[in-house]
Amino acid sequence: MIRKLLAGILVVLGLILSACSTGTETQSATDVPTEMETVVVTAPESGECLACHTDKQLLIDTARPEELDHEAESKGVG
Amino acid sequence: MAPLEPWEKALVDGEAFLATDHGELTCIECHAGTNVSEKDQAHADMVVSPSAQPDVYCAECHEEVTAAYPNALHNTQAGYWTTINTRNGNVPEDHPALNQMFNNHCSTCHTSCGECHVSQPKNVGGGLFTGHVFEKTPPMTRSCTACHGSRVGNEFLGKNEGFPGDVHFREARMNCVKCHEGADLHGTADAALASEHRLSGAEDPQCIDCHEQVADGSDGIEMHAQHGDGAELTCQVCHSISYSSCDGCHVAVSETSGNPYFETEATYMTFFIGRNPIQSEDRPAKYVPVRHVPIATTSYQFYGENLLSNFDALPTWVYSTPHNIQRFTPQNSTCEACHGNPEIFLTMDKVQANEVNANQSVIVSAIPGPVEMFLSAMLQPADHAELVTNSCVTCHAEGIRNSPVIPESHLGFTNESCIGCHKLP
Repeated sequence: MIRKLLAGILVVLGLILSACSTGTETQSATDVPTEMETVVVTAPESGECLACHTDKQLLIDTARPEELDHEAESKGVG
Repeated sequence: MAPLEPWEKALVDGEAFLATDHGELTCIECHAGTNVSEKDQAHADMVVSPSAQPDVYCAECHEEVTAAYPNALHNTQAGYWTTINTRNGNVPEDHPALNQMFNNHCSTCHTSCGECHVSQPKNVGGGLFTGHVFEKTPPMTRSCTACHGSRVGNEFLGKNEGFPGDVHFREARMNCVKCHEGADLHGTADAALASEHRLSGAEDPQCIDCHEQVADGSDGIEMHAQHGDGAELTCQVCHSISYSSCDGCHVAVSETSGNPYFETEATYMTFFIGRNPIQSEDRPAKYVPVRHVPIATTSYQFYGENLLSNFDALPTWVYSTPHNIQRFTPQNSTCEACHGNPEIFLTMDKVQANEVNANQSVIVSAIPGPVEMFLSAMLQPADHAELVTNSCVTCHAEGIRNSPVIPESHLGFTNESCIGCHKLP
């Protein structure tokens, strides 16, 4: 989310700079979106996380037995 | 609440979750770990509960709540420490032992954002509510009463055998947040206003927030006209039914497993009206329902001797707000069902001998007499409104300035009782 925000700021900054720039500098302003794309591309993906955590059978197959309930030896109403 | 299977706790509903705002974030942005298929490598350095660090993971979008929550009772658990320290006498040398006890047995009730809004609390085994979809309103039985279950939950939902659930649930299908709004639960950003206990300050929510006509008796109900102003009774005195009390909780660490555990000696249903031990301008009622909490002088003995050396500083029958409200109850069936009925008042004979001193502030020494006596009681002279003192006995014990002397029939009454009958005109 922070990176998206940074990208947005970069775009706005680019637009401001391009408004003040000469014709030659316009070329460099077009580089800004390229930078933004770079940021998005390097954001952490989660394809593998979701592939497993949306697969019920895979979760059943790979689940580890849980440890004993923290207060399983308790008696009476808590 | 049935525990979830291990796989069930971690199953994400991809379609539903990805359609939500939180689904726009990648898993790794909140949970760290690595985007690979091999399980151990994927989970290495994983952040299981991001909202345990709300300033890092939640504040960017939920700034207002995140700023307040550090002071919320669900986070600070200040209520625990208020009572522990009071009964301990705040002895500095005892704090290491009490800290250890607290960390083993009490701190598990600490609640993070996620434990109300995306998963069941860790305290009851954890596990995602609905495939990782965040719920603005926590699901009542999987969140609120999952922790507040043995007393409030069982009362509200009607799980105490033979006793109906709260009318607000049974007939109006209200859930907890209908009364306990998010703002109340999330705390205040002003640390100076943070609660030290759930009973700190004025009642909030109040029944009259919705039932406005009760307070002035304009609903046409005579009992509300007499008692609805809250000066004598809290609403629960008339509208609660029996609720659970407990005795003798002891905490320790298991020699076999090394895990902490507790043992409660007894749990039973009671309904007793006691004197309000925290009577104040904020909570003026003279009488409140009282519930026995399972504290005992030896409750923390595993962690050290005499850790509750100031045991008598707080009652063991405590101010209670049972969540089992009924319109009609045994005690509000007639005036006489309450007035002159010792069965429903916490009198000395109902208190264990070793707890009498602790409960002096709640024990009812003289139960309210017959209604006729109240109705026939002479009014105070109008100029008594200007009296600085509220000690009636100062004059009326001896008959100073020709004032009427307190009759023998009133000997069991306390000074605070006078204005209950002898009201200003």
